[in-house]
Amino acid sequence: MAAPLHHVIIGSGSAGFGAAKTLREGDPDCRITMFTMDGIPFYHRYELPEIFRGRTDWRDLLAVPPSFYDEHRINLRRRCRVVDVDGAAHTVSLAHQETVPFDSLLVAAGGRAYLPENLTGQADLIHGFGSFEAAMKVYRDLPKGGSVIMIGGDMIGIDLLLTLLSTGYSVTLIVNAQTFWPHELSAGERAPLLDVLRNKGVRVIENARPVGISARNAGAPARQVALDDGTEVGGDVVMAFCGLASSVEFMLRADVDIERGLLVTPELRTTNEAIWAAGDVCQIWHDGDKAYKFYHGWKNVRVMGELAARNIQGAHEPFDVDVEDSIWVGEDGEIHSTFWTRET
Amino acid sequence: MNKAGTDIQFAICGSAGDGTIAAGDIMKRAAAAMGFHVIAFDVYPPEIRGFGKCISRIRVSSEQAYSLKEQTDVFVSLNDGHAIPHVGEVRDCGAVIYDDHLIAPVPEGGHISAHVRPAQIPYGLPIRQVSEQATNSARSRNIVVLGYVAGLLDMPPEPFHKVVNQKFATKPPAVAEANIKAFDAGFEVGRKVFRLDDVEVGSAPEADRGEAVMMTGNGAIARGFLEAGIQSYFGYPITPATSIMERLAVELPKAGGRFLQTEDEISAISATIGAGFAGSRAATATSGPGLALMTEMLGLGVMAEVPAVIVCSQRGGPSTGLPTKTEQSDLNLAVFGGSGDAPRIVIAPTNVEGCYRCAGMAFEIAEAFQVPVILLIDLYLSNRYETVFPSGRNVFAPKPRQAPERREGEEYKRFALTESHISPRALPGDPDMMYTATGLEHNELGKPGDVLHMKMNAKRHEKLKPATRYPGLTTCKRFGAEGKVDVGILGWGSTFGEILEAMFEAQEEGISCSAMKVVMLSPLPEEELRAFFDDCEVVLVPELNYQGQFANLVSGALGRPVVRLDRTCATPMAVADILAEVRRLASDVNEPAHAAAGGGA
Repeated sequence: MAAPLHHVIIGSGSAGFGAAKTLREGDPDCRITMFTMDGIPFYHRYELPEIFRGRTDWRDLLAVPPSFYDEHRINLRRRCRVVDVDGAAHTVSLAHQETVPFDSLLVAAGGRAYLPENLTGQADLIHGFGSFEAAMKVYRDLPKGGSVIMIGGDMIGIDLLLTLLSTGYSVTLIVNAQTFWPHELSAGERAPLLDVLRNKGVRVIENARPVGISARNAGAPARQVALDDGTEVGGDVVMAFCGLASSVEFMLRADVDIERGLLVTPELRTTNEAIWAAGDVCQIWHDGDKAYKFYHGWKNVRVMGELAARNIQGAHEPFDVDVEDSIWVGEDGEIHSTFWTRET
Repeated sequence: MNKAGTDIQFAICGSAGDGTIAAGDIMKRAAAAMGFHVIAFDVYPPEIRGFGKCISRIRVSSEQAYSLKEQTDVFVSLNDGHAIPHVGEVRDCGAVIYDDHLIAPVPEGGHISAHVRPAQIPYGLPIRQVSEQATNSARSRNIVVLGYVAGLLDMPPEPFHKVVNQKFATKPPAVAEANIKAFDAGFEVGRKVFRLDDVEVGSAPEADRGEAVMMTGNGAIARGFLEAGIQSYFGYPITPATSIMERLAVELPKAGGRFLQTEDEISAISATIGAGFAGSRAATATSGPGLALMTEMLGLGVMAEVPAVIVCSQRGGPSTGLPTKTEQSDLNLAVFGGSGDAPRIVIAPTNVEGCYRCAGMAFEIAEAFQVPVILLIDLYLSNRYETVFPSGRNVFAPKPRQAPERREGEEYKRFALTESHISPRALPGDPDMMYTATGLEHNELGKPGDVLHMKMNAKRHEKLKPATRYPGLTTCKRFGAEGKVDVGILGWGSTFGEILEAMFEAQEEGISCSAMKVVMLSPLPEEELRAFFDDCEVVLVPELNYQGQFANLVSGALGRPVVRLDRTCATPMAVADILAEVRRLASDVNEPAHAAAGGGA
């Protein structure tokens, strides 16, 4: 009897989790291994702002109980950093020197928070929000009713911003090109959206670029952001929400084409027959635009994970590259986005 | 069952040579120094085989605990090959700590991260790198990870520093300094980690019994012997009793006593009986295979009514058996071993403090009843560490001997038939009290003859009966509910810790139950046992042997049925196994129809 197929998934977010679940549904006998840097099983990252509403126990955020993985024979391997993929040998190498063979590989590693070049030197003064641990650090470092300086303000950031406002914190938003990312907006398109935020009490700073961050340990505010117009803004923590940069550095030997992300067909297959990609890590070919495009947002990501899994198992379903991309102010006066709602 | 307050079990697993046991030793001593109760047990390979798996398990609690827990809260791997099979013992939301920067490639599944269940919390750190950066050597990996655990759990570093300094006090100062550096380096890494586990170290309880001392069962026996004024020790090394000999080899000469490593066990018991005959407080220690060799001379001690103390630390048998695994299968040998009717006193302490107290009283009891006394323990108790609160004053110091008074005109009757069945014992050198001591049956003078065989047999048996009420010695004790109960759990030796834990858990579940430990196995405290049986609808006897040796002994002596729970699993009895049986029995007691229909297990 042939050995069961071994499907390896890098990443345990919406795309990776959805793919694992779909793979198991499609083949009860296959082996499924997921690698993730996370310390805890899959949770919806868009729920991280809920920490500020008191949901500080990670177990309350899990999408499924830990037993789900055992029951579905999904080998979830946390705290594992993939350092290399050998596309010819079909192996994944981990930082701790373990090599794992695969029959198919789905890369759903997502992306890491992008930081504007001029601020990378002060990264240790900027709070992240890309994981439960990072979110908890913000929660613990931010005094009750304290103030947050938010640089950029992509849709993940906007979601956090709204939660912070409703839980008694204040926010200063330093607008840049990534504000409302992944929506690509002109200044004119951004204006009504920013008005909504102003009306909610957000201090919005436009037309000024942060050029330096300093710590003020002697007393509040704890952080000071210098702007290129010569002014300074104070706050308790500084956070940067400037979109995502794909995590692909471990794919350099994988025999796949890479631009900013992994280049895939609408069926999410890379240029290596055994390797697929889904989520924020991949750029999908748009035949109409003759370009590879990112499709961010948790709904797209989840669809991609499930779709890739079905295609790995023999289907030929394309991703809808013409998925709607819009953001608007609704009649309720709130910001609405096709990429970023909490509807399930 | 978890105790209130702090109740954490650590386990460190590595290969022999990784410093696994040393790390565990520092952890347990530091925890004791903080004021916690500690129970610890190390598992290591047979020394004669060289390298292999080592595990040190340490339970740290605010309240007194009686056994190790079945689930570990914090598990450390120093060698994934050995540790992987044990990851399953870590509870949900417990921590699994390992090296995430190996230096040699491993195949798929060769790293422990492949085996951490989704409900457990993985913590990887570059243990080797941290050690090398701190000390220029990878040898301190065990201390690095100890520091990491302390930092992770927010434990104060000072008690660890103190223990490290004590541990390496006999080595050049650089050794302790390097280990402190390694500890601090690990501590800093651990302190900065965001914790996802729910392991909590609370504050230690207020000490109200003086300063706690960490001891193993063997260490406690050696200390008890020394406080009781042991004068002679003769021994031949055998696992797991050897450390008693090693300790006395160092300490006994300092105390003015004599130590001799003999050529074998037969010589050891012969010398012990000989020294006892001469009036010396003499002891030997062995394991089952050694006790088997000693039975002939043990019979001589019974027949010649010579006080002597023999420690038997049981291991898996028969024959060479399982030298480094625990078992309770030498009970028959200890109680009945040898030719003829050869009654002796057999005392089986149930914890480390009991080892200390029983050893402290063993010589006095042997002298009082003029008989060999066997201290019956097992590997689990020999090697188990517990916090002990030794007596501030020496309560075991020998009392001045009173030489017998010889009646004018009468020959000295060494084996006189008296009302108490105890005869006045002279020592060689006492004037005008020469007598014959022999393995042959004898008359009151000690001269060979069969005329008094029946009376002498009765004397040898009857004289021991008051031993069950010897002042100052707990020969049996009941725990839990008083009066009538559904289930009684009767235990002996090291297994009683697990029995107590199971009983407390059963009581939490509302099961009517109590437990009794029997320390004196020969003679049995029959009156107390009968009272216990009268109170219990059913009596369960868990023990670590195949035959149910204690169950046979008790049910044979009392004529009462018992339910047996016999295990030869080479590990301590599982609390869960006892608890499951208690539940089943309680269910049967309360639902007789269910039992009659064959319900239950």
